[in-house]
Amino acid sequence: MIETLQNLALGFSVALSPHVLFYAVLGCIVGTLVGVLPGLGPLAGISLLLPLTFGLSPTTAIVLLAGIYYGAMYGGSTTSILMRIPGEAASVMTCVDGYAMTQKGRAGPALAIAALGSFVAGTLSVVALMLLAPPLAAFALRFGPPEYTALLLLGLIILAYMSSGAMPKTLAMATLGLVLGTIGIDAMSGFIRFTHGVTELGDGIGIVPVAVGLFGLSEILLTAGKDTPPQVYKPKLRELVPSGEDVRRSIAPTLRGSVLGFFIGIIPGSAHIISSFVSYGIEKRISKRPEEFGHGAVEGVAGPESANNAAASGAFVPMLALGVPSGPIPAVMMAALMIHGVAPGPLLMEQQPALVWGFIASMYVGNIVLLILNLPMVGLFVNLLRIPYSYLYPCIVVFCVIGVYAVNSSVVDVWIMIVTGAVGYFLRKLDFDMAPVVLGLILSPMLELSLRQSLAMSAGDYGIFLHRPIAATMLAAVVMLFVLSLWPLIRGGGDWRSRVGLDEKPG
Amino acid sequence: MLRTLTALALLGLVAAPATAQTYPDRPITLVAPFPPGGVADQVGRPLGAAMEKLLKQPVVLQNKPGAGGAVGMASVAQSRPDGYTLLVALSSISIIPEADKLFNRQPAYTMDQLAPVALLSADPTVMVVKADSPWKTVKDFVEDAKKRPGQIAYASSGVYGTLHVAMEMFAVAADIKLRHVPFSGGGPAVTALLGNNVQALASGPGPVLAQIKAGTMRPLAGWGDKRIPALPDVPTFKELGYKDVEFYIWAGLFAPKGTPAPAINTLREATKKAVDDPDFKKTMENQGSPISYLDAPEFQKFWDVDAARLAVAVKKIGKVE
Amino acid sequence: MPPERPTAPAWWSNDRVGGVILIVIAGLVALDTTTLPIGTLARPGPGYAPLICALILAALGLLVALRRGGAPFSGLRWGEGRHAALILGAGAFAALALERIGFRLTTLAILVFLLGVVERRPPLAVAAVALAISFGGYYLFWNILRVPLPIGPFGI
Repeated sequence: MIETLQNLALGFSVALSPHVLFYAVLGCIVGTLVGVLPGLGPLAGISLLLPLTFGLSPTTAIVLLAGIYYGAMYGGSTTSILMRIPGEAASVMTCVDGYAMTQKGRAGPALAIAALGSFVAGTLSVVALMLLAPPLAAFALRFGPPEYTALLLLGLIILAYMSSGAMPKTLAMATLGLVLGTIGIDAMSGFIRFTHGVTELGDGIGIVPVAVGLFGLSEILLTAGKDTPPQVYKPKLRELVPSGEDVRRSIAPTLRGSVLGFFIGIIPGSAHIISSFVSYGIEKRISKRPEEFGHGAVEGVAGPESANNAAASGAFVPMLALGVPSGPIPAVMMAALMIHGVAPGPLLMEQQPALVWGFIASMYVGNIVLLILNLPMVGLFVNLLRIPYSYLYPCIVVFCVIGVYAVNSSVVDVWIMIVTGAVGYFLRKLDFDMAPVVLGLILSPMLELSLRQSLAMSAGDYGIFLHRPIAATMLAAVVMLFVLSLWPLIRGGGDWRSRVGLDEKPG
Repeated sequence: MLRTLTALALLGLVAAPATAQTYPDRPITLVAPFPPGGVADQVGRPLGAAMEKLLKQPVVLQNKPGAGGAVGMASVAQSRPDGYTLLVALSSISIIPEADKLFNRQPAYTMDQLAPVALLSADPTVMVVKADSPWKTVKDFVEDAKKRPGQIAYASSGVYGTLHVAMEMFAVAADIKLRHVPFSGGGPAVTALLGNNVQALASGPGPVLAQIKAGTMRPLAGWGDKRIPALPDVPTFKELGYKDVEFYIWAGLFAPKGTPAPAINTLREATKKAVDDPDFKKTMENQGSPISYLDAPEFQKFWDVDAARLAVAVKKIGKVE
Repeated sequence: MPPERPTAPAWWSNDRVGGVILIVIAGLVALDTTTLPIGTLARPGPGYAPLICALILAALGLLVALRRGGAPFSGLRWGEGRHAALILGAGAFAALALERIGFRLTTLAILVFLLGVVERRPPLAVAAVALAISFGGYYLFWNILRVPLPIGPFGI
């Protein structure tokens, strides 16, 4: 413990030198800029800006990249709240209630709560990262394909609690997402499925173009031609600040989201994306006012945003403790570290404490810098809404097109956005919910791959799911939740919560 | 700085197509056929930075992923051969057309649509097991695998991916049957071995070197012609009597076939100097894949031999049900 | 936008239309899986998961279609439809034009179309916004993020 504090002091002495601090601020600003662009999330931001760091010392380079990373995460939620455009997959859930708040003239509180929630989650999970990294990393490695399958099934079950619409419609939309997710090369056999000759679909349908289409573009299609144009919003200063009630209602969701997100985040792979969906589902399920969700419930912003941010920090646990590139973002960060002459491995924390602790300290610093940058920016961002819609939406369309195109230089991605925008528009007219489609699309390839990997590991024996304690525990929870969701009559608040708690840390 | 860049870019863009004297007179795009952050990025971005200094024009990396790299490779193969669109490709460039043949698919590109410019790195894969596994040598492993065919599982970076082909090449030569569990990339495959979800792995040295040094993984053998400098005690499969078991994860620079000779020569010259650039050298060494530079003619020879070897391996794997 | 409820529920309710569309999609997907090996429960092939998903989708589509009541499809108002079609058209134009006439000309064209033709904004404002966004956007991506966006004829 004392050692940890000493190390942290060392880290801060690195991170707080004016030179390094300058790069932290620079990174946060650039990252926010990238994150605000629709389609460009933290992953694209880091890889695009990596060459900028080539001339820097390892510590400053990593601080800059950490800043870009956090900035991009914050920036993504800004567009979700203001324009219903998810900057990346993880901020899809923020679109729902965040934008609903904006429509009620409460964009300021939504942005502020998102920033505060992210800050709290970021800080808490960095503390957890610092104290618990080694033991947690060893645990995270036990998540093989069978455990992953169980976790994703749990994510699917959460669906049932996620949407405000009728259950069959929600499930049908999720299944539509699952079907969309099977497009592309089958990872197990090499067969190409459903691409009908379009080579670009070989790696499947991208989540970001679909999310931007279903959420952002469909919203423009629904709004632009209204007989009465949406009112120009003129915020007063007092309305920018969240009320005491907002803050009070956000505390518990933020804390729950932080814990949940952190534990989902440490699991290797891309499961961290679902943390915001799971958080939303849980918040809605245990809320005393579930009917407010989807219509601007502040919990629906606070929970997913903090889960998302905590998951992002959690993802660094296996990287720092074991040198495992446990997900796409840690993999890019690891590549960046290696470029700067640091080889992440199990001994990194022992051999290069200044660097690791500098990194951890710069995560703290990055969080604070972002909070300081973002709270005053709330006013600036909200003022974007003063632009008349007839000027605003053509510009949003253009930025959606570039953002979606720029990531993969793919016109096919632009087509996907336009087609899903049209489909989303039509389905929303018919009163279908779009979030389950995105969740289905995210889960589908992961679920199919991990199920078939498990069966490849066991040569076709389903017993593998029962012999492994973590997987079996989670599957039991899946079955229980499923039964519970079928029996709305015996919905009890407390026991449900504790069971979800169990899923995250058995043993 | 930015303003001069724009001015340069704009000026260059209006100018006539490349001639011997003026090439390059506008920005050059390096296409990486993998998503941002992939292996091709790790070579391409530093290379671009080094070449930019020499060519006095921006050299930028563009990610064009899709279909395991086929999309980006095909787009360069079909792009205008003017020397402004280049490809940073990995060994999989020779595997994809073979896999397409296996499935009777119209290939997205053929290898003769691309002209090699330079080989940048070539790392032999290395076979690793968990340090607490019972196998100390390849001999132990093969004997055990013969006793229980199809029981030992290995992870790969994806079906017909480089790590899959490498391992199957060895399995065929050793006459053993292994259980294949594909993952969605090299990183997840390494994670799977560390988590005891599989028992073996073929990997580039970069991602596992730190694990080997920390004593969590044990290397059994390398796929190279020579031993890996960072692992001098690890024998090659060739030394152990498995001849033809040779596999490299390499990265090379390609141009579309038909690119004018002056442009190609300028690029060859620039690459030759770029690999001596101290920053580039250091970056590549830090990433665990030191530069193995070959100029176009030698690279063509290397590629021909490598592609032939991989074609045989893919045919032997056949169609996974 | 709940439209006023008619006295007798219409047979083609929104849910029924949606459900039938989902069933059709499920059918098409199921048909498409016939070209893929299905495999077995123990060794699912590439066609396994899509087929199962298609069957579930069909079942859920049926459930949705059979829901009683709900707003009638004919009651939906499509007042914003013209705008939506024009915006989608502009998007389709962008996808077609982007790699042919380059980023700057494409965005310039879309913005002039949407702002000037669809929204009938004053010409000066249209020109200012269109030029600022298309050239500014290019500058942002190319000079700051170093993402090469497509360049059209005459290097614009």
